[in-house]
Amino acid sequence: MNLRLIYILILALAIITSCKPDEGKIDGPDTTTTQPKDNIDVTAINRIIESFSSPIEMAASIKDMNAPYSKKNLVNSDSVSNFDSNFKKALGLGMLSADLGYLNVYNRTNEIVEYLTVIKRLSDDLDIDQYFDFQTLKRLATNNDNLDSLMFLSVNSYHNMDKHLRETRRSDMSALMVTGVWLEGLYLACKINALAPSEELKNRIGQQRAILSDLVLVLKFFEKSPHFKQLIKEFEILQEYYEGVTITVEIGESKGYYDEDSVWIVDAGEKTIVNITDEQLQDISNQIIKIRNKLISL
Amino acid sequence: MKKLAIIIVLTSLFTLAFEYSAQAQCKQQFVYTCARKGGNAIYLKDFNTKLKNDTKTADNGTRWTTVLNEGIRYRFILCIPEAEDNDIIMTLYDSQHPEKTKPWNSTEGGKEMFDFICRRSGMYYISIRYTDDSKKRKTCAVGIQAFVGKNQ
Repeated sequence: MNLRLIYILILALAIITSCKPDEGKIDGPDTTTTQPKDNIDVTAINRIIESFSSPIEMAASIKDMNAPYSKKNLVNSDSVSNFDSNFKKALGLGMLSADLGYLNVYNRTNEIVEYLTVIKRLSDDLDIDQYFDFQTLKRLATNNDNLDSLMFLSVNSYHNMDKHLRETRRSDMSALMVTGVWLEGLYLACKINALAPSEELKNRIGQQRAILSDLVLVLKFFEKSPHFKQLIKEFEILQEYYEGVTITVEIGESKGYYDEDSVWIVDAGEKTIVNITDEQLQDISNQIIKIRNKLISL
Repeated sequence: MKKLAIIIVLTSLFTLAFEYSAQAQCKQQFVYTCARKGGNAIYLKDFNTKLKNDTKTADNGTRWTTVLNEGIRYRFILCIPEAEDNDIIMTLYDSQHPEKTKPWNSTEGGKEMFDFICRRSGMYYISIRYTDDSKKRKTCAVGIQAFVGKNQ
């Protein structure tokens, strides 16, 4: 009897300890089927992953440029049936989250419900659905009365799912999610720039060179997986197209001032000059479209 | 022996459960309320942390990395439940402008938020720390990164 109680004691302590949050400090290797490279620290990789842009940022920039709404550029929600492995599901979840961000900034509540449904399906399959409050999101979208909350909860859910993957040693899935977001955002920028070219979008696409380097670094961490290896090849071709793009930053004096709403503003004072030719832009756009379309038609 | 074991199990459960809740990050509702303080700025991400009251360690806050894009005006908002005398600040910096030099901006001086006009796309850092190590207290804190728009 006593021995049994001691076992219960040890088991209870083990359960409690395993349930404690790890405060974002993940020092051990990922334990998924994808084996990481040994010479890079997973903590450093997680730091890079967490730094990537929000799924709504590119969409917000596009709307801010007064680009008209176009649903035809988004991933068709029927494509979700093509995502038949965790690799494809995580990538798809990222791409669809970027599309959901796009729909949110354009207040397309009817389409939002459609995309929420497919995101819910993918989050179920990846076992992160506890961070995606589908019922509340659907209610907010259906009622069409609190779009701020809908937008907040959509983005917050994405970040919670992504964070949970990293905290449960599934950084490979997290890496694929941010890759999907980045790729879809850039795809939208390229498509819109093809229809209505602007210096602003051209520069924005050119400046992704540095972000792409970080992304490839993250993907290479998991390159022992054949799926990752294939994806890295596609991104390395994209990197080759980016090689001719030059980015120069001129150092300047930062300045601070209050605006009319008494918000303190700091202007960094630097100046970025992006040199990207139309031909380079075309090659980059073509490769982005190729990678993205290949992924959704698998 | 049986009673002793039950007492140990229950005590452990309560102690660890209390520790868990006391050190928890800010709740989602608090993050939402904080994001709303940004007005029309669109919520992009949050930096949610639990701060400890251990004055013996050098650990006085948390740091995150974030990518910012050139030409965009971002809004950064700091929220702390039961704020006390501006004892916690949020700072934005990068590798060229170290945190200690207070390069561009922070919520220092009682500012609840600040805007940053990004002129170089790339990796930046956000930190949320105590201003005075001797006044550490156990609390949560959340920073919000929001999108204001392209810089005019």
